[in-house]
Amino acid sequence: MGSGWETTTLAERAAEAMPGSLLAGAGYVLLAVVGASLFVAVLGMALIYAERKVAAHFQCRLGPMRVGPHGIFQTVADTIKLLFKEDIVPAQSDRVLHLAAPFFSMMATLLALVALPMSPIVQVADMNIGVLYITAVTGFGVLGVLLAGWSSNNKWSLLGAMRAGAQIISYEVSATMSLLVVVLFSGSMQLSRIVESQADGWWIWRAPVVGVVAFVIFLIASLAEISRTPFDLPEGESELTAGFHTEYSGLRFAMFFLAEFVNMFVVSAMATTLFLGGWMPFHIGGVESFNAVMDLLPPGAWFALKSAAVVFLIMWFRWTFPRLRVDQLMKLEWKVLLPIGFVNLFAAATAVVFGWYFFPF
Amino acid sequence: MNGQAASTVFFYVFAAVSVALAVATVISRRILRAAVALMGVLATSAAFYVMLDAEFLAGVQILVYVGGIVILLVYAVMLTRSSELIEDRPSGRRRGAALAVSTLFFVAAAGAFVASRFETLRPGALTVSGTTEIGRRLLDQGSTGYVLPFELISLLLLSVLIGGVVIARTNPDKGEDAK
Repeated sequence: MGSGWETTTLAERAAEAMPGSLLAGAGYVLLAVVGASLFVAVLGMALIYAERKVAAHFQCRLGPMRVGPHGIFQTVADTIKLLFKEDIVPAQSDRVLHLAAPFFSMMATLLALVALPMSPIVQVADMNIGVLYITAVTGFGVLGVLLAGWSSNNKWSLLGAMRAGAQIISYEVSATMSLLVVVLFSGSMQLSRIVESQADGWWIWRAPVVGVVAFVIFLIASLAEISRTPFDLPEGESELTAGFHTEYSGLRFAMFFLAEFVNMFVVSAMATTLFLGGWMPFHIGGVESFNAVMDLLPPGAWFALKSAAVVFLIMWFRWTFPRLRVDQLMKLEWKVLLPIGFVNLFAAATAVVFGWYFFPF
Repeated sequence: MNGQAASTVFFYVFAAVSVALAVATVISRRILRAAVALMGVLATSAAFYVMLDAEFLAGVQILVYVGGIVILLVYAVMLTRSSELIEDRPSGRRRGAALAVSTLFFVAAAGAFVASRFETLRPGALTVSGTTEIGRRLLDQGSTGYVLPFELISLLLLSVLIGGVVIARTNPDKGEDAK
């Protein structure tokens, strides 16, 4: 679909530069690595600050106010504190795995970030298996959590890890089902092409009804995958102290924490990319004057605004819904979400075959 | 030519890592560490698929093996008793048997390697690879399609799923105390 947007990725530029000089190619790789790490660090701190402020205002508090104007340096201070804390490895634990587990969690998050198209020109690599890739690399996250729980040699850790593993594996099915709806409609798994297919309208409403259903299922299932409230029972503090990261401290705890918060952004960005048009401005097919006004905001800002809105929604959930019990959690997935997901996928396939969607030009 | 040189370097790096992890899988005494090393081996094979432009295969490799099989393995290890997690030193008889079996397997594998001819497809034959083509082939009823095996496998998986549910189901007479 010719949408008039010129897209490029860091990987493409590196591939172009590579034949000329090896150094330039390596430079792009370095840029990607440093950029992604910086992005994760800054984003993590911003999200933690936002979470505290949102939580505070929902409870009629002020939240952090002392360090810097409106407490914006509070998270920076906390990060520095965490970096300097002692990194304790419990005796009797499997030392190697205990040290390696946070890296698996972080790796899953970083790998998922690589594929996200944040604007026409900000994307590290645009694989033609984008959706499959993101689903696949989250597997490393599960492994990180399981290893962390097991290697800590602690009952709470192990129980938390088992819960988290079962939860993530279960809800992955539903999340994938809802992603497939968008893949069906856009006819591609490549994230940039999914974004471009939404030039005339976002899939959440351009796909009649099934789009909304898929979006809601994706949001619920992803919340469970990243263990956010109301699905945070792997670290339910009233029963399991802190779940799989009970025995972690210092830098390694910070990595789990960071991965958790950045995962929230990854989920929001995925929801944005697949259902809310990604970096596409809000367009209505055929209404040119309206579209021209919407084009005034650059695509990167559109992406940031949409993801921020979904992030806010996720934080809002935390102060709205109580935590589920384990049996309720499993019942919700296997007896409610999964059947709805299957029916929805079937309906979506029917709609695609007969071309029943809005703005079919 | 820099691109080619870079991919050659990457190939050897991944190959070395893969072999090292494979050895670690075999010689590690702790089963969970062996599982993690195995995951590394499987992930590096995904890297090889990417270098061969078979991205879909690479994605499925990670999804199925890392996200599925290794996790299942780790679960199985975690559910067993922790005293059994470190393997005992095997007896002489078991060592002998293991040596014989592995030598036999090595001879068979080496024989197969020597006997087979690895023909290169003509250049450009693989450019159509990709998700769309794989999807078409899987649902094609013609001579080039794989719809029959595909459907058979889904039937098999369905029966496995139902079997799993039947085994996991608690006896309704006993009440709900066993979850």
